[in-house]
Amino acid sequence: MTDLERQLTQLGRELEWPSTPDLTSSLRDRLRTELPDERLPADRSVRRRFRPGRSLLPPAGLRRSLAIAVVALLVLAGGVFAAVPSVRHSVLEFFGLRGATVERRRHLPPAPRPRPPAVGERTTLAHARGVLGFEPLVPAAAGTPDAVFVDGSVPGGRLSLEYRPRRDLPEAKSTKLGLLVDEFRGDLNPEYAGKMAGQATRIEPFTLDGERAIWVSGAPHFFFYRSPKSAFEERRLRIAQNVLLLEHGRLLVRLEGAFGRARAIELARSLGSG
Amino acid sequence: MEAYEEIVRLHQTIAFRTAWVITRSDADAEEAAQDAFVKAHRALPRFRDGAPFRPWLLAIVANEARNRVRSAGRRAGLVLRVAEERRPDDAVPSPEAALLGSERREQLLAAIERLPDAARDAIACRYLLELSEEETAAALDCPRGTVKSRVSRALERLRAELGEEVEA
Repeated sequence: MTDLERQLTQLGRELEWPSTPDLTSSLRDRLRTELPDERLPADRSVRRRFRPGRSLLPPAGLRRSLAIAVVALLVLAGGVFAAVPSVRHSVLEFFGLRGATVERRRHLPPAPRPRPPAVGERTTLAHARGVLGFEPLVPAAAGTPDAVFVDGSVPGGRLSLEYRPRRDLPEAKSTKLGLLVDEFRGDLNPEYAGKMAGQATRIEPFTLDGERAIWVSGAPHFFFYRSPKSAFEERRLRIAQNVLLLEHGRLLVRLEGAFGRARAIELARSLGSG
Repeated sequence: MEAYEEIVRLHQTIAFRTAWVITRSDADAEEAAQDAFVKAHRALPRFRDGAPFRPWLLAIVANEARNRVRSAGRRAGLVLRVAEERRPDDAVPSPEAALLGSERREQLLAAIERLPDAARDAIACRYLLELSEEETAAALDCPRGTVKSRVSRALERLRAELGEEVEA
């Protein structure tokens, strides 16, 4: 982008655009006269509750809101909106941790192009320790990370640790890494990480040493981080491989790689301040 | 219905502004955006699987907006003001905010205003509204190649108008 293009973009942000009228109320009346009210079927389509510990399934009222939010997320995903006409009938299961949501859908949207994980600014562990709103955790079972990144746009910050592929950490097609660890304050970012999985993906909620966790494996699924300001960051959708999502105190920790569940648990159990 | 309201809420600003860039009228832009959302709702079952949503919606919005311009005849200029430079709680302007001085903003706005309609719309969509090429093509109802060439020519013209001051 040239200087002029940057200036024009900046100009657009500084302009006093006419204020946008709220179209929803007027549209509600118009659409009601045209179409029968469509009920969201989320209440009857969410089939399974998370058993270990407390239920991960939100109360019925919230499930309805979540189903609406799912539609909103798909809209914001731009290229994945294709499923919207059927989305109201396609959410089969919903799981949530503090900081992450996982939903199983009858039909997945078209796969996004492979892209590297968005990890923020490269830094050192020592520097990350000073800028993050939490103590970084390092999986001792994987050793010292090859690269450390911090994304400061997330409340409390998000830490990403990258490990190159090696014998005990085979390369994941999704990241080209042996292990990717993401950490952020789940208490400050309640639904920051999102996943959409199809029917061929295994979603296994469980408790790990008293903390809630979800193991997502098998067929690749879609993964995204929602924008801290709105709900969802467009163009951030990417394909993910096997992933362990884990509540760790105030943190939500995400481990992604080509390893199996036992190895993921071993890595998670070795998380410490290093 | 509630799900669609959420869709409207999420997209109403870009829909309204896109319509405004074309109509240059608050009332026409509001009508165009509202009619477009109604039409998009009706057309949702026919929405092509795999197609991105926003360009599709903006194409409907822009079409509604153009219909109003045609029936209204001539349209007004791109009358936009620059928002307050700094809010009271902004102790230090961000690097981006510091990028443009008020004089530069006025120069840019005036130079955009002098562009031919097609070039002005292309610049407004691509940069002021920050639409993608695909979205701009949908909004202007032309191929992406045409968007590229219109934008390129418009940028050249702006550079010529603004001279050395804009160049790095």
